[in-house]
Amino acid sequence: MVNGAAIEVLYFAQVAEITRVRRETWPLPEPVPAAELLSRLESRHPGLAPVERLKIAINQSHANPDSLVKAGDEFAVFEPVTGG
Amino acid sequence: MILVQEADFDAAELLARLRRRTAGKAGACVTFTGYVRDYAEQVSSQSLFLEHYPGMCESEIEKVCEHAKARWNVLDYLVVHRVGELRLSEQIVFIAVACAHRGDAFQACAYIIDALKTRAPFWKRETLASGERFWVSQREEDVQRAAQWEHPGESGE
Repeated sequence: MVNGAAIEVLYFAQVAEITRVRRETWPLPEPVPAAELLSRLESRHPGLAPVERLKIAINQSHANPDSLVKAGDEFAVFEPVTGG
Repeated sequence: MILVQEADFDAAELLARLRRRTAGKAGACVTFTGYVRDYAEQVSSQSLFLEHYPGMCESEIEKVCEHAKARWNVLDYLVVHRVGELRLSEQIVFIAVACAHRGDAFQACAYIIDALKTRAPFWKRETLASGERFWVSQREEDVQRAAQWEHPGESGE
């Protein structure tokens, strides 16, 4: 959890190779839908476009673009998974 | 029991452990073991690296297994998934399910691996003999297999 109206943004695998970092702290005064964060992500890291294909998790649970993200949340962004 | 680890595992020992925990109650144990194969066509692989999201991996696998437990009367289960650097033909994943009856055990084990492949946050990166590296793409067939369990009429139940 993060102090001061912010979220932790986590990147994995292919996404982390493009962002060149695995973790960022973003200010987030008001809750926003995950889709809004994905479009901010695309502006910050244009190499990730199109972001619509990416999967997201909020506090380590799968989430949708409509899901609300609020201060203190852990927001993770990654390509479709390939385990097993 | 759910383990995400770098170390290899002994499938026979894991099955024996599940049998001890369900002795006298389980009439059937079904297991699945997944191995590293060539993910690229027409070029030979050197090795595979498995990245994961610590914490979410364990909790997603647990959600999948708990769903299977309720749906097919699973007595107990055990899942081990490896991460890190793996060589061709090494073991990646092991799933064991114990039930009173074989029908439930087969269904639950098949569901767990299908759901794990589309829900547990692991990513495979393959290194070819040439040194070239690429991230393995999710297979459409895996997505369709997992989706079939949402519609029981199409999953052979």
